[in-house]
Amino acid sequence: MSDRRSPLHSAHVAAGAKMVPFGGWEMPLHYETGTLAEHLACRSGAVAFDVSHLGTVRVTGSGALGSLQRAFTNDLERVGPGRAQYTHLLDPADASVTDDIIVWWTGPEHFEVMPNASNTDRVLAALRTGSSDCGVADVTADRAVIAVQGPAARDRLRPLSPEAAAVGRFRVAAAGVAGAEATVAGTGYTGEDGVEMAVPADQAAGVWQALVSAGIAPAGLGARDTLRLEAGLPLHGHELGPGITSRQAGMGWVVRFDKGDFRGREAAWVERERGPSRVLRGLVAKDRRPPRQGCAVRRNGAEVGVVTSGNFSPVLGRGIALALMAPETNAGDEVAIDVRGRDLAAVVADPPFHRR
Amino acid sequence: MHVPENLRYSPDHEWALVDGDAVRVGITDYAQDALGDVVYVDLPEVGARLDQGSPFGEVESTKSVSDLYAPVAGTVTEVNQDLVDAPERLNEDPYGEGWICVIAPDDLSQVGNMLDPGTYRSLIEG
Repeated sequence: MSDRRSPLHSAHVAAGAKMVPFGGWEMPLHYETGTLAEHLACRSGAVAFDVSHLGTVRVTGSGALGSLQRAFTNDLERVGPGRAQYTHLLDPADASVTDDIIVWWTGPEHFEVMPNASNTDRVLAALRTGSSDCGVADVTADRAVIAVQGPAARDRLRPLSPEAAAVGRFRVAAAGVAGAEATVAGTGYTGEDGVEMAVPADQAAGVWQALVSAGIAPAGLGARDTLRLEAGLPLHGHELGPGITSRQAGMGWVVRFDKGDFRGREAAWVERERGPSRVLRGLVAKDRRPPRQGCAVRRNGAEVGVVTSGNFSPVLGRGIALALMAPETNAGDEVAIDVRGRDLAAVVADPPFHRR
Repeated sequence: MHVPENLRYSPDHEWALVDGDAVRVGITDYAQDALGDVVYVDLPEVGARLDQGSPFGEVESTKSVSDLYAPVAGTVTEVNQDLVDAPERLNEDPYGEGWICVIAPDDLSQVGNMLDPGTYRSLIEG
């Protein structure tokens, strides 16, 4: 089966993007500027990412709220319409995180659930089996999703759409952007201020062009990954996934036991009582060498963890990593990362590695 | 992709430049483009003995790690220390300031067994 293409595919190719397969999609890894320049542009100015590979599952109707409350770990009753919430879908067998998801609560009985690309079908299946009195529809193909991120994101977006630029952190609102009816959320995955917007597929190219013309440079998934790593944000398949629980990933706050029953509650409660067997920590290398997923971490010769994501931090100028570590390890501990048979000296640190 | 006429090439995308009795080695324009932004170069030690085709270092980009293979057998006489703090030179100038090391070859004629520019060009364009 060939990879799916974003509504912005032609725009990326025309801009000289290097297109790569990602989660069943063909997406831009970087443009002619390169990953490091795109990373730094997001830290200092504003960039736009095409994140259309994220799924959108629309859940509507009188039973929508109840269905989502029973499916996911976080408590939507703590927010309300016009808000976005980060949440997890658990495997009931062991409380592993089947997917991490953003829910946009766009109207009283209207939700846009956004899973990771490769998990959309799992999330759809979980919602269809456990829901009642609501419609569940995969509308991924109908829209593009564009993330505008960086300290200058709102300033550069404002001339195009004052409404979009004004959407607050974890708020959601409808806004006209360059002639398109967009749904805009104050969310992102870079550690910077900014918004993400869903726009109709047939108007996406025009919106993208308007953003670029407003000084918001395209950035690829390569920079998105180094940015999220520097910000200490988990990526499914690395810091979350089969065998890894919310609590191990340091995200116990996403699991709200006080809201009533939900998928995976029992297994998550068992782990909560017992305490996590390992915890996610940061590692900062002493030089530029990037640690990589799967590298063992040792302290005084004993194995104390494994790297889940690693790369070069453009802001720190050093290798950085997230690692699942023994609970007794602490920030400041000196460790050695086994990079293909050679020790890379590093220090345990609490993420994020970069704060805006 | 730029493939200079005065160099010889390996199928692993190293180039070799004969300079008197020595052979200067680096990675090709094609290799640096495929790697993306280089962030770390693991250089060999001066004095290291290399067998032809053996790995002698690594180039790491934001997306992947790539081994370096010795195009000829010999002894490392010089390494490009500037790459330690400025690995981006491999992207900016792969045939110039991005050179990796100089080898004193056991048998200079091994360079003649490497790919000529035309053959290498058809390899990367094929």
